[in-house]
Amino acid sequence: MKTILLAAFMACAAATAWADPPQGYPFVDYNAGLKAAKESGKPIFLYFGRYGCAWCDHTNKKTFSDAGLKALYSDNYVLVYVDAESGKRVTLPTGERITEAELGVRLNAFATPLFVYLTPQGEKIVQIPGFKTVQDFRDYDRYVRGGFYKKQTLLEFLGGKS
Amino acid sequence: MRRAGLLLLALLAGPAQAAWQWDAPLEVSTAVGPAIFPHVESANRQGLAVAGGTVGVVWEDNRSGAPRCYVAYRPATAPAFAAEADLSAGECYEPAIAPLDGAGRFLAAWEGDGAVWVRALPGGNPVRLSVSTAAQATLATHGNQAYVAWAEQAGRFKRIVVAALAVDGDAVAVRVMRPIEAAAPTDEQAWPALAVTAGGDVVAVWEDRRHKHTVPYGSRASAGGLDFAPVARISDQRSGRVDGLGAGLGAMRPTLAPWGADGSVAVWLDKRDFLSGYDVYAAFEADGRFGKNQRVQDSFGDNMSQWHAKVVARGDRLVAVWDDARDGTPDVWLSTWTGEGFGDNAAVPAAAGPGEQGDPLAALDGAGALHVVWLDRAASGTRVRYARAVWK
Repeated sequence: MKTILLAAFMACAAATAWADPPQGYPFVDYNAGLKAAKESGKPIFLYFGRYGCAWCDHTNKKTFSDAGLKALYSDNYVLVYVDAESGKRVTLPTGERITEAELGVRLNAFATPLFVYLTPQGEKIVQIPGFKTVQDFRDYDRYVRGGFYKKQTLLEFLGGKS
Repeated sequence: MRRAGLLLLALLAGPAQAAWQWDAPLEVSTAVGPAIFPHVESANRQGLAVAGGTVGVVWEDNRSGAPRCYVAYRPATAPAFAAEADLSAGECYEPAIAPLDGAGRFLAAWEGDGAVWVRALPGGNPVRLSVSTAAQATLATHGNQAYVAWAEQAGRFKRIVVAALAVDGDAVAVRVMRPIEAAAPTDEQAWPALAVTAGGDVVAVWEDRRHKHTVPYGSRASAGGLDFAPVARISDQRSGRVDGLGAGLGAMRPTLAPWGADGSVAVWLDKRDFLSGYDVYAAFEADGRFGKNQRVQDSFGDNMSQWHAKVVARGDRLVAVWDDARDGTPDVWLSTWTGEGFGDNAAVPAAAGPGEQGDPLAALDGAGALHVVWLDRAASGTRVRYARAVWK
């Protein structure tokens, strides 16, 4: 019993010690996400995080803890989590097989977290680095699902929102 | 008067600066096409080696419809690489190659069917090394010593295992095989690199997540055995939360080469400046202790990510290579150790300019020549290319 309690405590301690996908969200890996997006027609929200990343942890606690945001993104996106330093293999829409870390090279990811919105076919719509608020993510959602990305850059869209 | 003028000109010109002088580049892979994707990544970025003047290159691509590994050779007197041969029969990932002797023979290791394999080249048969699920094989050879390391499943996580090999002609057998640490891993260990020092000791470095972020770790075993000393971090950055958040800074893909009288040198990607992507850092090791970390890239590489770093060393020559996009598109860069620090960065001429050139591999041969392989990406296909340089 003591061993079980210790293991449970360690699991809980570990879960709060590093940055992973925000709790309670249905994040899946890249390959599963791409398949699900093609089947469902939903856009992909790719969270490019890093094990132990402080700003990822901050974003999870401050922003992704919002229940409304959780519902908005869980219902309308295929949620994909990628570990910036992982050797786990992913297959790009081109058919090329690379690692999760190499995906960071292709995205020129210079900081984590990095948030990437993709079409259901896996084509990049926009990528946004760093900590963002609940309202930021609501704006990005309108930009992506509203189809504004087809005519405007994100900066143009955000500049005209008020 | 004329003689005095020439003397003055000579004095003004100063001493000529030695630099790498490059031969014309060569193609390595014969399979190029818009849907063929070659990859040269491996633990310690070890897809290039030189044995007795013969250059050996291994890589993986999908020309057959599945990931398979290939090997191509360029004998010392040949003007080009010979057509590649299969390295293994089935699916294959992240192959590594190391010189076996002065007669153009090599040792290769790779991941296939969830296990790590090794074979002598060009004639040997594959030998399975790992017991459980394993990946990320790397090699180190020195005289008649040959070692392989990899990451192997041990319960919930992978840990680093090292094997000492006996090579007799084309036959390869395991002499000793053991994990660097006897205790079960408490988090993932990955991407090992090995070096055999001039005195015959074995040094290992790897990615380690025991502190809940990725930290390059290292250890050393005395010549003749695989009894590794207690492990220690090679990064001089501390683990820990920042304002109660996260667990520490990022680092990845340590590479390693023997260096000096009886030491080694590690180079890895390091995110201690977390706003400018990964930077290239180095640390010199002696007696199992890694010293103060040094930044390798110069200031012209600030404010952008460096990728795919690799260190090679031989004699008094030490070179680090990587790619970054400081000139607008990814190019291959290198820095040569000056004796006091890492020198100004120089682009590899054939791997710089318009387009994307990256993923460098490197090797130094016994004569001090530098060999580099890289990927040249274009819409028409990605090419595996090679160039050689001499220092003069």
